[in-house]
Amino acid sequence: MNHVSVAPAQDQVEAPRAVRRGITRRQALAAAVATGLGVGAIRLIGGSMQRIASPRTASAGGWISPLNSEGARVMQLLRRTSFGYTASQLEAALSDGFAKTVDRLVETRPVEPPAFAAAASPGGRFAIPQLQQWWIDHMLSTPTPFAERMTLFWHGHFTSDYRKVADNTFVYWQNLTWRRMAMTNLRSMLMEVTTDPAMLRYLDLATSTGANPNENYSRELMELFTMGAGNYTEDDVRESAKALAGWTLPQPDSFGLDQGNRRLPIYTTQKSGVFNQRRAYRGSVTYLGKTGSLDTQGVIDRILAQPATANLFAARVAQHFVTGQPTTSFVAGLAETFRRSKYDVKTLMHAVFTSAEFVADANYRGLVKSPTEFMVGAARALGNASLAKVIAASGSGMGQTLFDPPDVNGWPNNESWMSSNTVVERVNFATAAMTQSNGSLPSASDAVHIHLDGVLSSQTADLLNQAADDRARWFITLASPEFQLK
Amino acid sequence: MKKEPGINQLKRRDFLKAGLVFGAGASGLAAGYAAVPDAFARAVYAAKKEGVANDNILVMIQLAGGNDGLRTLVPLADPALYDLRPKLAGPMVSKALPINSQYGLNHNLGGIKGLWDKGKVAIVQGVGYPNPTFSHFESIRIWETGDPTRRQVDGWLGRTLATSYDSNGHPLTGCACGATDAPGALRDLQATLTVIQDQKTFGFTGGSEVEAAVGALYKGTPGIYGALFDTAIATATETMATLRTSASSYQPMADYSDKVKLVYSSKNQLAAALQLAAELIVTGTGVKLLHVTLGGFDTHYTELNRHDDLMAYLDSAVSAFYTDLAAHDMADKVLIATWSEFGRRPKENASGGTDHGAAAPLLLIGDPVSGGLYGSEPSLTSLDNTGNLKYSVDFRSVYQEILSGHLGADAQRILGASYDHVPFLKAPVAV
Repeated sequence: MNHVSVAPAQDQVEAPRAVRRGITRRQALAAAVATGLGVGAIRLIGGSMQRIASPRTASAGGWISPLNSEGARVMQLLRRTSFGYTASQLEAALSDGFAKTVDRLVETRPVEPPAFAAAASPGGRFAIPQLQQWWIDHMLSTPTPFAERMTLFWHGHFTSDYRKVADNTFVYWQNLTWRRMAMTNLRSMLMEVTTDPAMLRYLDLATSTGANPNENYSRELMELFTMGAGNYTEDDVRESAKALAGWTLPQPDSFGLDQGNRRLPIYTTQKSGVFNQRRAYRGSVTYLGKTGSLDTQGVIDRILAQPATANLFAARVAQHFVTGQPTTSFVAGLAETFRRSKYDVKTLMHAVFTSAEFVADANYRGLVKSPTEFMVGAARALGNASLAKVIAASGSGMGQTLFDPPDVNGWPNNESWMSSNTVVERVNFATAAMTQSNGSLPSASDAVHIHLDGVLSSQTADLLNQAADDRARWFITLASPEFQLK
Repeated sequence: MKKEPGINQLKRRDFLKAGLVFGAGASGLAAGYAAVPDAFARAVYAAKKEGVANDNILVMIQLAGGNDGLRTLVPLADPALYDLRPKLAGPMVSKALPINSQYGLNHNLGGIKGLWDKGKVAIVQGVGYPNPTFSHFESIRIWETGDPTRRQVDGWLGRTLATSYDSNGHPLTGCACGATDAPGALRDLQATLTVIQDQKTFGFTGGSEVEAAVGALYKGTPGIYGALFDTAIATATETMATLRTSASSYQPMADYSDKVKLVYSSKNQLAAALQLAAELIVTGTGVKLLHVTLGGFDTHYTELNRHDDLMAYLDSAVSAFYTDLAAHDMADKVLIATWSEFGRRPKENASGGTDHGAAAPLLLIGDPVSGGLYGSEPSLTSLDNTGNLKYSVDFRSVYQEILSGHLGADAQRILGASYDHVPFLKAPVAV
C-alpha cells in the first residue's frame, strides 16, 4: 500500500500545518466511497458483463446526495475549485480532510506559469491558440489548480477579448495580472483592472479624454464589473467617464517592423497604463450622489461604498461555486462578510466553501461544469497531460474559447452551457480524449467512485455494466451526464 | 422493463417543480436575467390546433452591440449631423448611396441597395421603445422578450414556436445557426429548438455506436438539469436524422464568403451561418424561425472603418443569401429582418466613435416586403434628455407585422397587446 507521506505543494501552505495522519490510498478511497456503492467489481465468469455499478438515484428524480460523507465533500470541493483531480491529488486532500483542504486552497500562493516564449513578438502578433495552449498546459500541470480556477473566474468577470485588444502581449499580461490579484483585495484589484493595458483597449478607456469622454469603460465598470444595472443613473455613467479619463497605454520598450515595413511596438517587460494629466478632466463631477473633484481611486472608492457592489460579487461566486439558484439570504450573508472584510477575496471564498449551502444535499450536482472545467478535469482524471492542444481546439464548439468571450458580460454559466450543439461537442471531446489516451488508463471501476461519487442514474449504471472494456467504461464516464456536473 | 418517463411527457410544471425556473431577478446578477435554456423543454406535445398553416419563413439577423442607425440609413441633407459628428459625418454623407433626396444607404450596402431598387427592402425608421435603457444586456433582453417592463422571461420567437407551431419531434422548426447556445429570442419553456454552430461538424465523431450509447445515456437523467441534458441530446440526434435525409440535395447557388476584411476579426461567421440557414430552408427540413448573429457593432472607437467594414460584411452575406434563395425558388417564402439592441449616440466621442444610443432603423428584406421607407426619422435637433434620438415606431409594431402578416401567427396572444400597424408587407397573410 502506498502511504501518503508527501502532499503536492505542501511547502507552499502558509496556514499552520497540522500533524498529518498516516492514511493509505485504500483507506482514502474507502472513505470517499463509503456512502457510494461500496460495491467491488464482480466479474461474471463466462460473460462479458461486469457488474461495476448500480443505479443510485432518488426515486423522486433527484440525485442521492453523498455529502454526509467527508470524502464526498472533499471531492465536490475539488471538482468545483480545482478542475477535478488526479488520484494522487485526491488522496492528499482526503487525508487532509475538508476543512484543511479549504484552508490550503485559499491560503496557498498561486504558482506562476512558465514565461510564455512568444510574449515579446512585435505587435503581440503570435497566434492566440499558442497562448490558449500555454494556459491549459498550466491548468493541467500546476500544483495550485485553484489559482487557475480563480483566474478563469476573473477572466469571465473582468473580461476582455483578444480580437479587440489587438495585441496578444496585452492579453498575456492580463492573464498574469488576474492570477496574481485573484485572491487579493477588491479595492486594489479594481485599480489593476482599470489600468490593465488589455482592458484599456477593450473598453476604450485608453482613448477617452476629459474633454470628450468615451463612456464604454465607465458604464461596464458599474453595470457588469461591480454594481449591476439599476444601481446608478445615466448621469453617473457620464460623470465617471469624465473622472476616469486620462489613462493611456504604456510606451513600448522598442519597435520592430512587419512584412509591410510598418512599425510595431515591442514590449519586453510587463507594464500598466500610464496616467496623462493633460487628457484628464479638470473640474468637479457629481457621481453617485456626491459632488467634487474625483480621480480613478475616488471612483473606485465610491463604488465600494455602494451596498450593491458586495452583493453582485456574492451572487457571482455563489452561482459559480455553489448553486445556480442561490437564495437571497445566502447571497446577502456572503455580501455582508465580504463588505465587513473590507473586500478581502480570501475571506469571501473561505466563507463560500465553509457555508452550509456549499455542502447542502439540495445543491449536490447543482452546477454544470464549464467546457474548460469539463475538459481539463477529464484530462486530469485520465492522467493524460498531453491533451492541451485538443482542449484548446475543442472549447469553441462548447461555447468557451479562452481569451475570446462572447461579449463584455463574459460567459454565461450552468444551464447556458448545454445545447444541442454543445452536448455533441462534449461527447466528441470524450471520444477524442480516449483516442489520444493510448497508454494504460487508471482503473475505470475506481473512476466511477472517484469521479462520479458512485451516484449514478440507472442508464449510466446499465451502460457501464454492459461496456466491453475499461476504455468503453472511461468513455461512458466522461460522456455521462454525471461527469458534466459538479 | 419499467417504462422510463419520456421527456415528451414533461410539462411546464415539471420544470417548475424541478426548480429550474430562470426568472427575472435571478439573484440580482449584473446579467439581469438568465432566460430559459435553449434546448429546454420539448414539453407539450399536443398539436397546435391554432397553429399556423403556411410555409413562410423568418430569418432574424441580430446586429449585436448596438448598430449605428445614422451610418446605416444616412441623412444626406441635415446640417445638424455635421455639428454632432465633426469627424464622422463628412465621409458617411459623401459616399452614401442615395435612395431619395433625403437619405442614402451606407456606401458598403451596395448589394442591399440593389435589392432596394427592385422594391425588396423596407426600412422602418426611428424604431425603439419608451424609457430606453443604455445597457446592452437590459436592452437585448427587452428586444428578445418584447417586453420593456422586463417581466416576460420567454423570447418572442420562442413564444411563437410554443403557441403556433408543433415543434415537438421537429426540433428544426426553430434554429439558431452559427451559435453554440440559443439566443433569448428563441427561448421558451414549451418550445423545442436546435442550435447548430456549423453543420459540417455537427455530428458524433464516434459514429453511430456513440450516438446510440449517448441516446441511451441521456434518458431520464435525474436532478434539476436532467430534462435540459436529455432534451439537448434528443434534439441533437433528431436534428442529425433530419439533416442526414436532406443535406445531400443542397448546392449553394451564390458565393458565400466571410473573407470580407474586418478591422478585427469577427467571431460570428455571418455568411456561413446564413448559408446553413439557406440549406435548412432549401432542403425542406421544415424550418420556420431562424436566428443568426453578427457581433462587433459596439463602435465606441474608430467607428469610421469598423462600422463600414461591418456594413460590407452584412451586405455580402445577405446578398449571397437572397441570391441563393431566389435561385432555389424560395425567395417568396423568406422574410429577412435585422435587429439591434439600440442605435448609437448622435454626438461622437473623443475616440472617433459613438456611445450607446436609442432609436434606429430596421431593415426588412425579401420578396414578401413592399419596398420603401416607413415610420419617420427622428430629429437630430430635438434629442431626448440623454442626447439620444426619440423613437417614432415601437419595435413591437414591427414584431406584430412579422407575426401576423408574414407568419400568420396570433400576434396579440404572443405580444400581449396590439400595436400600431406598419404596412411593410406586400401581401399580408390573412389570420
